Amino acid sequence: MSTLSSTHPADERSRPAAPIGAAENRWRTVDIVVVAVLAVAFGVVFFLWNNVWSWLSGLGPQGESIITGVWLMPAVVCPLIVRKPGAALFAELVAAVVSMALGSQWGMDTILSGVLQGGGAELVFAFGLYRSWGPLAAAIAGLGAGVGEAIHDTTVSYVAIDIPGRVIIAGVEIVSAVLIAGIGGWLLVRALRRTGALEAFPAEG
Amino acid sequence: MSLLPAPLEPTRPAFLTRVTPAARLVVGFAWLIVDVLTLDPLVPARLLVAGIVTLVLWSGLPLRRVPARLAPLGVAIVGLAGFSILLSPANGDPGLAAVAALGPVRITAPALAAGLAIGLRIVVIGLTSLLVIAPSDPTRLADSLVQQWRVPDRFAYSTLAALRVAPFMAGDWATIGAARRLRGLTGGGPLRRLREAGDRLLVMLVAAIRRAERMALAMDARGFDSGIPRSHYRPVRTGWRDWVSLAVGLGVAVAALALPR
Repeated sequence: MSTLSSTHPADERSRPAAPIGAAENRWRTVDIVVVAVLAVAFGVVFFLWNNVWSWLSGLGPQGESIITGVWLMPAVVCPLIVRKPGAALFAELVAAVVSMALGSQWGMDTILSGVLQGGGAELVFAFGLYRSWGPLAAAIAGLGAGVGEAIHDTTVSYVAIDIPGRVIIAGVEIVSAVLIAGIGGWLLVRALRRTGALEAFPAEG
Repeated sequence: MSLLPAPLEPTRPAFLTRVTPAARLVVGFAWLIVDVLTLDPLVPARLLVAGIVTLVLWSGLPLRRVPARLAPLGVAIVGLAGFSILLSPANGDPGLAAVAALGPVRITAPALAAGLAIGLRIVVIGLTSLLVIAPSDPTRLADSLVQQWRVPDRFAYSTLAALRVAPFMAGDWATIGAARRLRGLTGGGPLRRLREAGDRLLVMLVAAIRRAERMALAMDARGFDSGIPRSHYRPVRTGWRDWVSLAVGLGVAVAALALPR
């Protein structure tokens, strides 16, 4: 796949000279399309996962919040792959829109969640100046996404539940976000990298 | 693809199908925000009436297919509204009379009202989303976002291209499953099945990434990233219908929130 290496001919020929450091932050077509395709895949997974959420309703909001992390995975996985500013927000937003368009029970509210989840992870990666991509950064990005989700859920979905109940829900969501989206997302990217599918993107380290 | 529901599409041209997606999005978000601002059931009830009137008169959607489409809301309503009633802070207030009591569990009137509001809220969000999304296809949405909201075109059209990959991913998923069955990698206990689904998902994602890389190469070969300003094949203009929808839609949102009881 050498044709997909990081210096695409079109990049060099047609762009005006960019300031130093800007080139690595510029999105190539392959970055955009791979993030968009992964986000669509996650959007479909979200839609199916919404059904899992419905089956687990009997556990109550505190119990079933433990599966939250799956909905936050694109916000960690996609930035770890392409390493561009905005990847977390873009990926989570597209996945949310796809899940909504397929008929998520939360409708347009899914977009609000997506912005807060993606925004939470995006802030963490921005705080690392888009240079930290290790397991720790991934876990903290998962935490950021989880905090965003908890802010949404405790003010929109669970606003009628008493404060102690909401605190427990937020805590369970954040733990799930760190474990599933953060650590799980990092492991998923490592597994993808080992298959050789990510040769067009920056190598580990 | 059998995993996913068939999209709900308008069967005839109607007022909403001629309103640009960007205008529908603005009204939809206004309704969503008004809907989640309050725990008074009257506000979502008013929006619900407005939404049903819009659906019947101006959406052009096949009404008989709408209930099946909104069916997933059922479980969400029962779950969220039910737990909102059960875990409401009002239940702990000894000054309020219990409407129902079972041992230590008391349910008060404010708790019931809040639960009702949450339930109605979910129906309104579902219906509003349908009115925003269903009257036009994703292509028109991308055109509208790029031309009316100046969303970066490379991102909008790449996402549109990515949507076309979804059916192939479903095909890959089935093929990978068949291949693994042939090699005797399937079956076993629930834990083994979970692992198996994870492995299958990884292979599917690899196939999706490969497909995306080929697609990006093909797009670049056609000058997708040439840097030359893009002209538009399907112009989207903000028309009088947009202004009417914005005025009426935002008016309904304000009225639902502000009208006296």
